[in-house]
Amino acid sequence: MSENKILFNTGSLDEFAGEIGKLSDIEDSKLKLTPDNADSGLAKLVLTLVELIRKLVEKQAMRRVEGGTLTDDEIERLGETLMNLELKMEELKKHFNLTDRDLNINLGPLGDLM
Amino acid sequence: MEKMIYAILWVKDDSEKPDSLLKEMKGISGEELFLIAFGKITAVVSNIDKKSIVADNPSALAFARVIEELRKQFTLLPMRFGSFVDSADAVLKMLERNVSKIQDNLQIVDNKMEFGLKVFCDTGKLKAELIEKSNRQTSLSINPAPEANVSVFRDYVNKKLQAHRLEELLLNHVDSVISNITEFCDRLNISCKTRKMLSESTIIDTVFLLKINQQDMLINHLEELKTQYPGLNFVLTGPWPPYSFVESTIKK
Amino acid sequence: MDNNVIDQSKDITILELLDRVLNKGVILTGDIVISVADIDLVYLGVKLMLSSVETMDQLKAGKAIKEMK
Repeated sequence: MSENKILFNTGSLDEFAGEIGKLSDIEDSKLKLTPDNADSGLAKLVLTLVELIRKLVEKQAMRRVEGGTLTDDEIERLGETLMNLELKMEELKKHFNLTDRDLNINLGPLGDLM
Repeated sequence: MEKMIYAILWVKDDSEKPDSLLKEMKGISGEELFLIAFGKITAVVSNIDKKSIVADNPSALAFARVIEELRKQFTLLPMRFGSFVDSADAVLKMLERNVSKIQDNLQIVDNKMEFGLKVFCDTGKLKAELIEKSNRQTSLSINPAPEANVSVFRDYVNKKLQAHRLEELLLNHVDSVISNITEFCDRLNISCKTRKMLSESTIIDTVFLLKINQQDMLINHLEELKTQYPGLNFVLTGPWPPYSFVESTIKK
Repeated sequence: MDNNVIDQSKDITILELLDRVLNKGVILTGDIVISVADIDLVYLGVKLMLSSVETMDQLKAGKAIKEMK
């Protein structure tokens, strides 16, 4: 399309083009399951979901810490759990050769949970 | 032969038949465009070989170009790229089956166009500003001095807590911008949809459904918003066909 | 306007357009483009399960207060 549809902008177009380009990187953010990649495709899907839940748990935990209703002992144990979860997740990512970027697939309505 | 559907038009008056407009355009792979009408609702289609469809940029752009030209003269529902049915007869059946839903959607977008706003900022810089502001206003310090003799787990929680507080500060800030935009829309009875925190730097993505005479008001409002939030950058694009304001699924 | 700015404006226009035409608009059931949107339903089920601990605590607390009254 030869038309220019930018009506108003307040920054450098360079920056915007890059940012919008990243967001529109449709190929990357879509999960493609084919017979050949079913294994890694599934791992990617499952780990994306696990990572989302891990982040939600972490967020919820921080709200509770902030709420001030937890004892020192509880906070201690919470820290240990969260830290282990994060380490475990790193291991799984390494095992399936996935990066954070790979786990950034578009989760549709679930994405709104974050 | 399969048919690719580009858009569903509302042809309100027999005199404004879109045939002549279609003759000047070509669809994907240079295919002829033609119309399949059911009453006043009309699908714009072209032949397509199901096996040969490639979702590449040139065909997506060819698809979009047809919708863009039609938008200039008709109220329409744009189809998502890749919408096809098995035959012309199936297109007619699809229109017939969904006629009331299609009409409802056409009413909503009639005489209106979509505009898109994206708000970008350097979130790192913004967070730093928010911390400073917050530390000045309250005794609760976002970055307290590290406590001595804390366990590694406690330390981990403290770090996460700081990141969490910062995130909340940022979200509050973003929400204040969003409510400004929403209030403006409510005042003028404009429909808008907003998503936030699309990425590290794209903090707001809003789509508006406007009458063409409301375009300048929106731009004026964004200019005001920019003076209120000098650290943020705004990009407004449009007019677009009402891609984001159509009910998403219809049955074949 | 210099050519560079014109090019970038076009780029942004095209990207915004592609985002719309590939991700928005009316979908016919049985689309050819297999997207994550098709498995949104699976996720929706999970979403229902993820009720927040804090909210549940609050609900329980609220209920307890009612019972005390």
